[in-house]
Amino acid sequence: MKTEEKRVEETSSSKQKPALNFLLMGAGSVFTSMIVAGFLVGYVFDQLFNTTPLFLLACGVLGFIGGIMRIHKLLGKMDLMELPEKLKETGDSKVEEQGKDAK
Amino acid sequence: MGTVEYIQHHLQNNSICSADHINSTTGLCEGFWVLNVDTLVIAALIGALIVFVAARMGRKLASGTPGGFQNFVESILDFVSTNVRDAFPGHNPLIAPLALTIFLWVWLMNFMDLIPVDLLPYLYQIVTGDPHAHLKVVPTTDLNTTLAMSFTVFALILFYNIKVKGVVGFIKMFLFHPFGKFFVPVNIVMTIIEEVSKPLSLALRLFGNMFAGELVFLLIALIGGTLAVGAAALFWAPLQALLDLGWLIFHLLVITLQAFIFMVLTIVYLGMAHEDDH
Repeated sequence: MKTEEKRVEETSSSKQKPALNFLLMGAGSVFTSMIVAGFLVGYVFDQLFNTTPLFLLACGVLGFIGGIMRIHKLLGKMDLMELPEKLKETGDSKVEEQGKDAK
Repeated sequence: MGTVEYIQHHLQNNSICSADHINSTTGLCEGFWVLNVDTLVIAALIGALIVFVAARMGRKLASGTPGGFQNFVESILDFVSTNVRDAFPGHNPLIAPLALTIFLWVWLMNFMDLIPVDLLPYLYQIVTGDPHAHLKVVPTTDLNTTLAMSFTVFALILFYNIKVKGVVGFIKMFLFHPFGKFFVPVNIVMTIIEEVSKPLSLALRLFGNMFAGELVFLLIALIGGTLAVGAAALFWAPLQALLDLGWLIFHLLVITLQAFIFMVLTIVYLGMAHEDDH
C-alpha cells in the first residue's frame, strides 16, 4: 500500500513533468482544431435542424472562444514548472530592473 | 515529367475502388469507398515488424548482462512507462501497452519518410512494369491513417469516460462545463466542440507535419532532378545532398517528436477520461 501512496504522490500535480513541456508545442494545432471542430459541429447541427448558417456561425465563434480558453489553460500550466536556477535568477533580476525603470 | 506532375505523382496513393468511383478525366479513384492499398500494406507490414521483433526479443531475453539491442528496447520501454506514470493519474493496465504501440508504430511509419523519396516508388514501378504506378510510402502522410488512429483513441476516451464517470457523470460533464449551471445550452455545444477537437488535433497535427516534411523532401529532390543539366550538376548535386542531409537530421527530430506527442496526448486524454471530477 505504501508504494501505492507514493505513486499517487508522485503523480500529483505538484510534481514537475518536464516531458509535458513538449505538449505546449501542440498549442497551435489545439487552437485551430477547436475552431475547425466548432464549424464541423455547427454544420452538423445546421443539417439536423435546417437552420443554415446560424449554428455554423455560432459554433465557429464558440470554438474560437473555447480555443482561447484551452490555450490559456494549457499555457497556464507552464507557471507550475520549475525553471532552472540560472534562468530563475536572470528572470528575477530582469523583473527587478523593470521595476526600477518603472519607478 | 514537370515539377508539378512529379510532386502530384508522389503524393497520389495507390488506391483501388469500384468502377463507378473512378474519375473519368483523371482516371483516379475518388469518394469515400476508396482503399489506399499502399497505406494499408505498409502500415500492416510495419505493425507486423514490431510484433515479430517483439516476439523474437521476448524469447531471447537475457536477465544477466543484456546485449545492445535489448538495452535499446528496455530504454524505450522505460521511457514510455515513465511518461505514463507522469501523465496518467489512475490505474489501467491497458494504457502503457497502448502508449508503447502508438509510439513505436507512429515512429516507424514516420521513419518511412527518411527513405529516399524516389527509391521505393521506382522499385515498385520496375516490379509492376507500369512506369506510372503510384506509391506513397509514408502511411502517416495519408490523412486516413492518422484519423483512423485518432478515432480509435477517441473511442477509448468515450468508453472510459462513460465507464469511470457513469452515464450520469458523463452527461453532467456536458451540462455544467465550462461556464457553470446557468449556460447549459452553451455548455453542451462547447463540450461537444471540445471533444470533437481532440481527435481532430491529434490527427491533423501528425498528418500536417509528415505531409509537409515529405513535401520538402520532394522539393529538395527536385533540385538535382530537374535543374542539374551538364556542368551545372557540379553545383546542384552537392547542394541537394547537403540540403537533404540537413533536412533529414532535422526531420529525424520531427518524427520522434510527433510520435512522442501523439503518445503523450493519448495518455493525457485518457487520463482526463479517468478523472472523476472534471
